[in-house]
Amino acid sequence: MAYNRKYRPERVLARVTFRAAMPGLKGFLIAVLRSYPYGAAALSMLILATVAGLILAFNPPPKKQADLVFWTFAKPHYEAYLQVIGDFEKEHQVKVDMQLVSNQGLPQRLQAAFQADLDVPDMCEIEISSAGSFFRGPLEHVGFADLTDRIRSEGLDRKMVASRFAPYMSRGRVFGLPHDVHPVLLGYRRDIFEKEGIDVNTIETWDDFIEAGKKLTIADKRYMIEMSDTGSDQLETCLFQREGGYFDPQGKVTFDNEIAVETMKWYVPLVARNSKTRIANVLSSSFGTVIAQGMENTYFLSVVMPDWRSKIFENDIGKLSGKMALMPLPAVKKGGRRTSTWGGTMLGITRKCKDKDLAWKLAKFLYLNEKDLAGRFAGTNILPPVRAAWKEPAFDREYAYWSNQKLGRIYANFAPEVPAQYTHPFITLAKTKFGESLTACVQRYTANGENGFDEFVRRTLKSKADEVRRQIARNPF
Amino acid sequence: MTTTSIEKTSVREGASGGGGYLRFQQKAAPYLFLAPFFLLFALFGVYPILKSVTLAFYATSGPKDMVFNGGANFTFLFQDRDFYIAVGNTVTYALFSVFLQLPIALGLAILLSQTWLKGREFWRLAFFSPNLLGQVFVGVLFAVLYQPQFGLVNKTLHSLTNGLVPLDTKWLGDPNLVMPALVLTSIWMYAGFNMIYFLAALQAVDKDLYEAASVDGASAWQQFLNVTVPGIRPVTTFVLVTATLGSLQLFELPYILLNNGAGPDQRGLTIIMYLYNKGFVVGDLGYASAVGWTLALGMLIISLIQVRITGAGKEGQQ
Repeated sequence: MAYNRKYRPERVLARVTFRAAMPGLKGFLIAVLRSYPYGAAALSMLILATVAGLILAFNPPPKKQADLVFWTFAKPHYEAYLQVIGDFEKEHQVKVDMQLVSNQGLPQRLQAAFQADLDVPDMCEIEISSAGSFFRGPLEHVGFADLTDRIRSEGLDRKMVASRFAPYMSRGRVFGLPHDVHPVLLGYRRDIFEKEGIDVNTIETWDDFIEAGKKLTIADKRYMIEMSDTGSDQLETCLFQREGGYFDPQGKVTFDNEIAVETMKWYVPLVARNSKTRIANVLSSSFGTVIAQGMENTYFLSVVMPDWRSKIFENDIGKLSGKMALMPLPAVKKGGRRTSTWGGTMLGITRKCKDKDLAWKLAKFLYLNEKDLAGRFAGTNILPPVRAAWKEPAFDREYAYWSNQKLGRIYANFAPEVPAQYTHPFITLAKTKFGESLTACVQRYTANGENGFDEFVRRTLKSKADEVRRQIARNPF
Repeated sequence: MTTTSIEKTSVREGASGGGGYLRFQQKAAPYLFLAPFFLLFALFGVYPILKSVTLAFYATSGPKDMVFNGGANFTFLFQDRDFYIAVGNTVTYALFSVFLQLPIALGLAILLSQTWLKGREFWRLAFFSPNLLGQVFVGVLFAVLYQPQFGLVNKTLHSLTNGLVPLDTKWLGDPNLVMPALVLTSIWMYAGFNMIYFLAALQAVDKDLYEAASVDGASAWQQFLNVTVPGIRPVTTFVLVTATLGSLQLFELPYILLNNGAGPDQRGLTIIMYLYNKGFVVGDLGYASAVGWTLALGMLIISLIQVRITGAGKEGQQ
């Protein structure tokens, strides 16, 4: 067979032609090389450049096929949207290009693209902590389209939890549609609490919680709650619970006001070494294997639990299924607010989007469709801000992981109480400075206890807040 | 044969009157070949540098919104507490790099150049190999190793010291431990890299000098001081300057190790991180340019001082 194939007529012909042509081709190449005055190397470069240029010229980048390009940083959102986007495409006879972009890279990429007038997506989801940085400069230079009139004319500010628009506003204009509410509860090790005889129904205030915590905490082995002594994640949750914040609605720095001072004075003894009321500690991360090990090994007995984190626990710490439960956040005073907020996402339509009406339709399709929102809650545990959606049966489902509690209903019950948090282009700096204040106060308390602590907290917060004010003051925009 | 043919061709063309064009071609050719590089360099190198000089005198919010503010960026820079924190951290790290990491690298090089040591090639590779990893990878790796309670570093230290080092020691969470953690990580990563330079330098030192010193009765320490140190001086200067400049440009390692931040109390904030935050997080490119130029000037001064102190560049004059 091999013999026959080798001597098939077309192969023989090809071989003969090649052999006949080779000397000619070789001669031609040599002649070109010899006649080219700058040598073989230069000729090779020229040939390569010509070939590469021709390839590029005849293979232009494909033209944008989609009618809308949508960026999101959250994989659960991305997967949920992919499931329903086909319906929107069919209904409107359009193509939507849904893209998952890393959360670390997205703000910088988008910011750079806005600033340099480069290609930007038509719609983009932005995490709450970086949203403020997009609102810097004159309003007309904000990269996102102003959605205020659309939201008001369609009554979305009434249909959705109103406080959730606050983080996406600047100078009275709304640039984003809220994706979520993110009420905060406490997730606790029900099995250990019951074993130790702690009835969570008797815990109404933080004072009650601290008393219970003192009984359960064993220094360096077991802590009542995960709270950081250097980062501001849990501290700011407590600050929001007390109606405090980094900025007020007018954009003034407020994290050195009386609420912040009182919050700091209350929080620091919970996390500082040598404190009699130390019931909290933190590991290197509040996520991943670190927190999983911390919870499994009962290093922590409870954690601050926004809705999104409950899904992370279900996925990452499966061993605790049936051992975890939710309880309301203890109130500052009896009858006070039993929740707070942590995190958030907005959906913005970029100013460069060519078909803003279509983008707005997609935004409403993804964010307002009650049935879809209920389905998405089942996949993400994230409570949508659309009140009407909370009536869906999905929110009354019992979760085995959470000791058969009705997760959706519990979060929905507390959602209307979620406090507003106001943002600002300098929000990142404010958070950094607030975290620095915490570190300084913890160090001071560890060394000196209550002695002069009140004055130190006031001075530290004032000094850090002034740093932020100075930075804002030098910004002429 | 080829050369002869080309010469013949040239002579023939010159004789037939095409010499002017050919001479022009020959004169222009080098410039034409160099032109693409210079064009690209001018566009992506020189222009941004010049632009950043002017930017340093503007208050900006991205490139669209700019207001000339004279030297206000520099004035504010020298009043900004965060800038001094960044400078302090960076200089501390650089000092540790120079005074801790380089002696370790030299010590390793001397050890691994000893002929009595078995498996020298293996050890050289072993000490050099951490440098094959990127800073980002090393950052992620050490973030896991430094974990309180469950991390390998704490578990090892806890058992070695019989519980003296607590399991929940927060290497990356305690403001006082952040810098030591950074320095330890960088030693692991870069000591082997600098060791290679010293190894090469040690091998270039004339062996006859050691023999002569030995015959004269010099001790090992005296040989090191009077033969080895002068022999490796040019390389030492090079390593010193590059290690210092590298330290002053530190960014990825602390950024990843400290979870995309500056760590507690900003103890991991470096000058480049500060520049990055101002330029790309806050969007104040003018202020970031001012930081960049201040850093460049500082690096130039430090390098000149180092070259002057070590006497590098004078070898040729002696």
